[in-house]
Amino acid sequence: MKELWKLKYSDIKKGLNSGEFTPTDLIQSLIARIEAEDSKIKAFLSWEKESIVRAAAESTERRKSGKPLSEFDGIPIGVKDNICIENTITSCASKILENYRSPFHATAIEKLLAKGFVLIPRANMDEFAMGSSTENSAYQVTKNPFDTARIPGGSSGGSAAAVAASFVPVALGSDTGGSVRQPASLCGIYGLKPTYGTVSRYGLVAYASSLDQIGPLSKDIDGIIDVYSVISGKDQRDATSKNIPAFDPSKVKELPWKGLRIGKMKITSEIEPDIAKVYESLLAELESKGAQLVDLDFSLLSNSIPIYYIIATAECSSNLSRFDGIRFGQRKDPSGKLEDLYVTSRSEGFGKEVQRRILLGTFSLSAGYYDAYYGRAQKARVLIKKEYEGYFSKVDLILQPTSPTTAFKVGEKTSDPIQMYKADILTTSVNLAGVPAMSVPIGKDSNGLPIGLQITAPALHEDKIFGFAKMISDWASKVELPETIK
Amino acid sequence: MNLNEESLQKIAELSRLKIDPKDIQNFLTDFNKVLNYVDTITELNVSSVSDEDLYPNEGNSLRADKAQEGLSRSQIESFAPSFQNGYFVVPKVIET
Repeated sequence: MKELWKLKYSDIKKGLNSGEFTPTDLIQSLIARIEAEDSKIKAFLSWEKESIVRAAAESTERRKSGKPLSEFDGIPIGVKDNICIENTITSCASKILENYRSPFHATAIEKLLAKGFVLIPRANMDEFAMGSSTENSAYQVTKNPFDTARIPGGSSGGSAAAVAASFVPVALGSDTGGSVRQPASLCGIYGLKPTYGTVSRYGLVAYASSLDQIGPLSKDIDGIIDVYSVISGKDQRDATSKNIPAFDPSKVKELPWKGLRIGKMKITSEIEPDIAKVYESLLAELESKGAQLVDLDFSLLSNSIPIYYIIATAECSSNLSRFDGIRFGQRKDPSGKLEDLYVTSRSEGFGKEVQRRILLGTFSLSAGYYDAYYGRAQKARVLIKKEYEGYFSKVDLILQPTSPTTAFKVGEKTSDPIQMYKADILTTSVNLAGVPAMSVPIGKDSNGLPIGLQITAPALHEDKIFGFAKMISDWASKVELPETIK
Repeated sequence: MNLNEESLQKIAELSRLKIDPKDIQNFLTDFNKVLNYVDTITELNVSSVSDEDLYPNEGNSLRADKAQEGLSRSQIESFAPSFQNGYFVVPKVIET
């Protein structure tokens, strides 16, 4: 059998539409790949082979009869375990939802199914999307396909590793403070955090509602553009969804180099030297092509992690209060008293990091501390938004490394929550401001580990990000994805 | 600031969580590390932010007040830990 799993998203789409191979051929190749290699990577928590094969067969039939649902019919897509698929377990990699089968589809899933995408659930993640390494999953640690002694990033580490390991050409993750971009960077792929409100959150299990956004991860830019154009657009079922149509991919155009204003950051000691080197050589090349580099002062953004943790944990303490053992999920009832049912179900169901964040959120919302912490963080968030508005009056796009480090070793940061939180130092402010940003692979460090570039644009200007990413696609093509996993 | 064990237990109680006594010291140490880290925001000058900035009037997102089909009882029953005769079963809360 031809090794179709090696193909990138755009070649898969081309091959399906030209009839070179069928969705069934493709899925058989991917299944063989997953069965051979996922024991090393552990990207998936579980997957229902029969229903995946059936969905691909239905797509093959539609294509044979000349009635595909769209040009995407039969394209497989990995799905993070916090996005609801009807009658499929959606555990958020938590014990509290171990056996929870969603009774409905998330809007993003409905839209993908309407176009014929073949869903491949359930990609591993940090429990309830809380983490930067996928070590907080209650079930397994996902490994980085470039080096299995290392983490893939998080919280969408399963989705990123599944794409990098060639299990799926594209996947869905969710990004609250960098959870799509940071793992995309550490796994050498593309990952988009869209403008807040452009992708419905209906059916995405909430971590921090004002920050969460579903986003695609892919080996190539076309996978990101296509999936974003399918899942975006107004949804009546999500009051925070913006009243705008789905993204139109024909808006993506290469930008003129001459006069393109690019905001750059000053390299600090937190950025690894190899990353700084790749970043600065890219900037130098852009300048030689005629782009204008503008130094931006990111000092206010250095506060974004503390602001983020106050706001995100406050929202999580509220959102996760629904997991009380009464209506769904796991119930532990040792004494027959209602209060004990709540406490035991939650204490045994949530992992340590989730509990820590619930406690921090409860603290910052509690009487006596609300003004000093939560109220102040909300005001500081406004300053971050204004800071971005100021930047975008001077520049078209902002370029930064996505992550201060390349993939770190499994266990390296688990004992120190602050070190772990700092993994998102360059990504969290984007969620606080609600603007879009994407990580693009641009090189490797001396250990052969991928380095990602974060491209940030003003709200609703994903087209600029995509256009620019296409312009620097030569850089991305230098990052060969691992064919044989070490 | 630093939280003591008593305050942490109070917050745990509000969160409906119970911290295992053997973990309490580690939890307290980690929690205080995080608290000290986020404490830097108490020094930020936010006086320029007005209430209008904080609560911009973007209008409400409303949909037509029309009845829509929701989940069926059998769907709800399928994921409830304990369900009887159309009700979620909970331990007795009223003394008779």
